[in-house]
Amino acid sequence: MITVNNLTKTYGKIVALKNVSLKFDDSHVIAIMGENGAGKTTLLKICTGILPFDQGQITVDGYSIVKNSIKAREQIGYLPEMPDMYERLTGREFLFYIASLRKLKDAESRINEITKMIGIYNFLDYEIGSYSKGMKQKISMTSAIMHNPNNLLLDEPVYGLDPLTSRVIQDFIKNKKGTTVIATHSTQLVEQIADLVYIIMRGQVIKFDEVKKLVSKHGSIEQAYFHIKDEIDA
Amino acid sequence: MLETTKIILTENTRSLIKKMKDAPILYILFTGMMFFSIYIFAFATFFLLRTETEFNITLEDTFFTIFFMFLLKSVADFYNNYVKSTQLSYALSTQTNQKKTIFEIFLSILLTQLIIWFSFSLFFLLALLTFRVDIGYPIEYMIFTLGVITAVCLGSSISINFFSPKRYRLLPNLILIGFYLQFRHPLYVVFTLPLAIIHVFWSIKNSKESHLFSKRKERLKERTQVKMRSLIKAIFYKETTVLWRDKLLFSFIFTSVTTGFFTGYFYLYGNDLLLPESLTEYLGDFLPSMFLFLGVFVVILYTAVFPALNLFLNEEKTMWIIRHLPVKNDTIIYGKTSALALCFLTSIPFVPYLSIFVGLEQFFYLFWFLIFSFIASIIISIPLGVKYVGKKSDIMLLYSVSMILLIVLGSMAIFATFIIEYIEYSYAIFILILLLELLILYISLKISSQILALKYN
Repeated sequence: MITVNNLTKTYGKIVALKNVSLKFDDSHVIAIMGENGAGKTTLLKICTGILPFDQGQITVDGYSIVKNSIKAREQIGYLPEMPDMYERLTGREFLFYIASLRKLKDAESRINEITKMIGIYNFLDYEIGSYSKGMKQKISMTSAIMHNPNNLLLDEPVYGLDPLTSRVIQDFIKNKKGTTVIATHSTQLVEQIADLVYIIMRGQVIKFDEVKKLVSKHGSIEQAYFHIKDEIDA
Repeated sequence: MLETTKIILTENTRSLIKKMKDAPILYILFTGMMFFSIYIFAFATFFLLRTETEFNITLEDTFFTIFFMFLLKSVADFYNNYVKSTQLSYALSTQTNQKKTIFEIFLSILLTQLIIWFSFSLFFLLALLTFRVDIGYPIEYMIFTLGVITAVCLGSSISINFFSPKRYRLLPNLILIGFYLQFRHPLYVVFTLPLAIIHVFWSIKNSKESHLFSKRKERLKERTQVKMRSLIKAIFYKETTVLWRDKLLFSFIFTSVTTGFFTGYFYLYGNDLLLPESLTEYLGDFLPSMFLFLGVFVVILYTAVFPALNLFLNEEKTMWIIRHLPVKNDTIIYGKTSALALCFLTSIPFVPYLSIFVGLEQFFYLFWFLIFSFIASIIISIPLGVKYVGKKSDIMLLYSVSMILLIVLGSMAIFATFIIEYIEYSYAIFILILLLELLILYISLKISSQILALKYN
């Protein structure tokens, strides 16, 4: 479970997030939607301890991301939107590197299991620099889930993936225990796997609701999104 | 028209402005040092013109130094902007003729090099004017400028053909460079400019396969053995693997050996070569020691400062990996710094090579000074590397660090000479200095760890 209280983040004069408070509960898949530059990626990066913030408190399973950052980060798996990795390492070396830093006990079997599941196993001994966008996404996804984290934060999790792998990832997210947060522009993905949705605009949460409720009220998440955006613009 | 050229030049300019805004102090420091260096070169020119030294830098020497500097820069620039470029696929996928796009990349490199040449040379000439040295040599200036253009043409075609599956296309480049080295006259370079232009155009015509070949080659790697490691070992292994695969270690060893050789040579014959007889009495003892010092300094720049800074400077886009993992900053700093032990090994050949000339009496002192300099480089470089994460291979940062190091090592060299001459148990003091330095290293790494930590309000 991740809780965010009165979070404010600025980049110079630009306010990326303003007094954001939200809660990512256990046993739910929670989607974050919003226009480009709304603050979705910034929010995920702050929750994982990658970016500092100006004001507020964040706890991950009760551990403060500031005061108990090591404990908090142990509970998190993170997939960035643009997974830049060490291009000179092979996929296998990179995953063992991450596993070593996470002190994972059954690393080899976990890596083999996940990479076979998402279809990158046969390419593990190529250098990451030679991978396509989708292949990098698969390696990064493996690194995010191999320690079976209680809190999974995924930024555009199926972007660049082939349809089969995309389906496998969606099934994995749906069946996973704990908290899963996905930041995405794909309304289709939100409808298929999310239970709850936060809509962020201009650095503020403007809507939080159940996906099912929004779909029954507006017909689809896409329609709901446009409706909410029109209301805000008006 | 010329969209690719414009976009590359715009991006380079904006990137420079952004860097200046991000680290203004660094850039002010660097600009100051750059102008200072040019001024010192001007002073050296003035000094050599006004004194009766046997050491004489000829016009040809200067021409070929500038020529090869621009040649190497063009090779690197063309490699980065074309052979290795990922952004290039956007331009290549448009309806514009691909050869035209590649020509425009060449043009942007040519323009950039000419801007660099004109700015630096004009400042140098202005500096010469302050020493009242006559600078009215328009023909020579034109020859130098044409030499720069030839260097850019040859450098670009070397870059295209070296990374091509058909490396025999490098033959014209090799013949031309061999010709220049054999006859050593700037006019031969200028006369062969049309040949260099024809060759670069022909290379551009056949250049697409270089880009594809380079990409294809990256995919072919042997299966590697990997296993779980402890935290520091895992970081050490990752860093050394990257160093190994970038083939940097071989260039470090090569530098150590050649610097050892040249330092030894100048140690023995430097006085005869460089000093006029009138000055031998005053500087005869100083010059050999200065060469030993400069030798160590050059080796350390290559094998310690450069890799130590890049340990963090290269992490720009991969910082998310370090930041999101449950690892203490101390552990990251120790793991990365430990990888520099491998770089230290590459600097060791310098001492035995130098000892061939210098003799074994100075072996202990030289080895001690090498260790001291290596640790001092780490002490200075790691905190600055952490502070300026993302400024990959930033020449300004490298330059500033090397200047700071020059002062630190220079002071220690003077102090060490004093110890050797006046103190009986100098060995014990040298060991004590190293122990003290290790303590400072520990403090430096702790500071680096603090800098690496995220700053919350």
